[in-house]
Amino acid sequence: MTDILRTIDLSKRFSSTVALDHLNMIVPEHSVYGLVGPNGAGKTTTIKILMNILQSSEGTAEIFGRDSRRLSPHDFTQIGYVSENQQMPEWMTVEYFMNYLKPFYPNWDSARAQELLRQFDLPLDRKIRNLSHGMKMKAALASSLAYRPPLIILDEPFTGLDALVRDEFIAGVLECAEDATILISSHDLSEIETFASHIGYLENGRLQFSEEMTSLTERFREIEITLTNPVQSPASWPAAWLNKEQSATVVRFVDSHFDQERTIAEVHGMFGAVQQINVSSMPLRAIFVTLAKAGRKAA
Amino acid sequence: MSQTLHIFKKDVRHLRFEIAIAVTVAALFAFIETKHALRPVDIANSSTPASYLALLLLPVTWWMLIGRTIHDEALPGDRQFWITRPYSWRSLLSAKLIFILAFINLPMLIAQAVIVHAYGFSFAVELPGLLWSQVLLTIIFVLPILAMSALTNSFVQLIAGILTPCVIALALAGLSFNFRPQFILIGVAGGLGLLNGHEWVRSYLIFLIITVAAAAILFWQYSRRRTIMARGFAVAAWILVAMMFYLISWPAIYRIDSALSRTHVDLSSAHLVSDLGAKGMPIAFRQGADYVGVQIPLQLKGLPAGTSARIENLSETFQVPDGTTWKSDNFSWENPKGPDQQFFVQTGFYGAAYLQRNDVPVKVHGTLYMTVFGNPHTTQVPFGERSVPVPQVGLCSATENPDRQNYYSVICNSAFRSPAVLVSYRFVQSNGDSSTEIDPLAGRRQLSFFPFPADLRISPVSHDFKMSYSIVPWDHAIVQTLEPLGHIQLDFDVDAGRARMHRSDNNEKIRP
Repeated sequence: MTDILRTIDLSKRFSSTVALDHLNMIVPEHSVYGLVGPNGAGKTTTIKILMNILQSSEGTAEIFGRDSRRLSPHDFTQIGYVSENQQMPEWMTVEYFMNYLKPFYPNWDSARAQELLRQFDLPLDRKIRNLSHGMKMKAALASSLAYRPPLIILDEPFTGLDALVRDEFIAGVLECAEDATILISSHDLSEIETFASHIGYLENGRLQFSEEMTSLTERFREIEITLTNPVQSPASWPAAWLNKEQSATVVRFVDSHFDQERTIAEVHGMFGAVQQINVSSMPLRAIFVTLAKAGRKAA
Repeated sequence: MSQTLHIFKKDVRHLRFEIAIAVTVAALFAFIETKHALRPVDIANSSTPASYLALLLLPVTWWMLIGRTIHDEALPGDRQFWITRPYSWRSLLSAKLIFILAFINLPMLIAQAVIVHAYGFSFAVELPGLLWSQVLLTIIFVLPILAMSALTNSFVQLIAGILTPCVIALALAGLSFNFRPQFILIGVAGGLGLLNGHEWVRSYLIFLIITVAAAAILFWQYSRRRTIMARGFAVAAWILVAMMFYLISWPAIYRIDSALSRTHVDLSSAHLVSDLGAKGMPIAFRQGADYVGVQIPLQLKGLPAGTSARIENLSETFQVPDGTTWKSDNFSWENPKGPDQQFFVQTGFYGAAYLQRNDVPVKVHGTLYMTVFGNPHTTQVPFGERSVPVPQVGLCSATENPDRQNYYSVICNSAFRSPAVLVSYRFVQSNGDSSTEIDPLAGRRQLSFFPFPADLRISPVSHDFKMSYSIVPWDHAIVQTLEPLGHIQLDFDVDAGRARMHRSDNNEKIRP
């Protein structure tokens, strides 16, 4: 796998606010990279710098190995970009919009464009200004997939979409997933979880971790220990244990570096003999909430 | 090129109603102006509300069209769909420029050509003026709005962007110690190139700044989209334009204009005589609380035969023996006339209290800037509808007014630029026994060696109309022109003595 997209010590300041703080992120080719994080974490700023919409304050962003500030029109023929807050040419009909964009892309696939329009059930003769938000997002996606771009960048694409439209949208994106590299920023972790191969967690402009989805879900476990006898809360806990809670005989925490043998050994080391240890895998949403809570406490 | 045309076609489709309005207004303007051309002497009809409305609507429709087409792919902001699409900035900018050429410049070029043709001017002869007129209209009416549109993303922002510097300029001017309300009019007139004579130098410097600034902003915005920096550049350009009215002195303008003159006569022996003995003495007199008026008789000598001089401007410094000096910016004069070429200049300064306290005489050092005219040329214009070509003026016609008995009129139409010569008019009887000069002040506007074939004006034909009432029946009109031959700058030093008390007989201003 080569890196199709990466940032090197990327920083962005808006006046005195630091939006990105020396961000180093790599998106491997053919991956579906979910960029997640709380509001204001810097996800959209990162994407806008990658797309050369915003200028960075420090550091560089690269797409296809090229500095994003030097992206050429040809590079943009290789990128499909959809953002929830993008302004569309409202006066155009859907059909005119697609026909207008066609000459910009040498690799425009008219058959695929027709198929996408049909798949998304888009009314061709309706002006974009008269489309619902969901329809507009589908029109934007159709116009961005019709030329089969090797890189698809989706910025908060699910915001404001109902469940049905969301499913259609994801289905459209997934059709390209095998051929393309996809970078998607979203709050909707349950959706991301279904198709992301990699996850990057951004908080306060810093990338807290970036790894493969399987590795992430394997290293986070929710642990519940039932103690034989009540014990006092330990003075210090392992750094990897997050969101610790303790009642008289029950201890709960999230182990962010779960390894069955090591974790059980650590539990015994801290609490002695225990009556029962329950280990549960965690959905991405639960991992995200755990990390967000832990981040807030640390802050 | 294909992308350029593709974007252009999209803009045409989107803005077809705005295009229709702009082209209709241009056609209306051409229609109204050509209607006047059919009745060239009836000047009363040349300034109808419809013609004023057309003149007002033309720039408004242009600005609307420019704003709309540029804002279709707005440059500031981070949410526009097109900035993540494979647009080439060169294609985008080219498409916008072609759009403006097609729907602003081309209709205006056609309208002006039709009007000029309707007035009887030769299209081939007036082609340079026609083309240069397009250049000037583009510089003043298109480029600034084009640049401002590239710095904004909506029509409301554009209007705010245009009005804000105007309001700031007015506020600053209001705070300025030397501010006078007429400065606003002078500024507006200067910006529009309406100031006569040598002021073309200042106007063209402003045009140059506007052109360079607009080109830089467009290049910067389309190639880089750095709106904050480009807006800073625009503010700097506005300040520079405003400063042109203060930074460029009149003598500098005069020197540049003089350098372009093709002096046809030897003016080296021209000089001023200030000591006229019994014929006149300089007088300094107190006028009001602190004002000292100074009246100076002068004589111009050494002009070549057959030439006459006209004063264009004057600068003066007043000095007293202890070295204190004052400068004057308030003066009037009469032009050298008669066989002895004598004339007066009247000026003054605020220093009467100082002079009274110190009881000292005043010395005046002055510089006169003059234009020398010669090579008179006369053209006879018979009464009737037929126009007669007058060299360096245009087409002139004379009429006995059929509706108003004993009224005679003459009109000279000039295409694209004001006459480069002094023009005066006479009505005469065929036997030459009697003649009358109409409006002897005619032609007192400043003349220059303006090298370009067109002034800045929307309407391509300017009129000089004179009417006279006479019970003497006239046979025809005469149009006389005097050619500017060169500029001269002459210094004088006079001792005006001690300031006398107020003299009411000297209080009247000399009419320039």
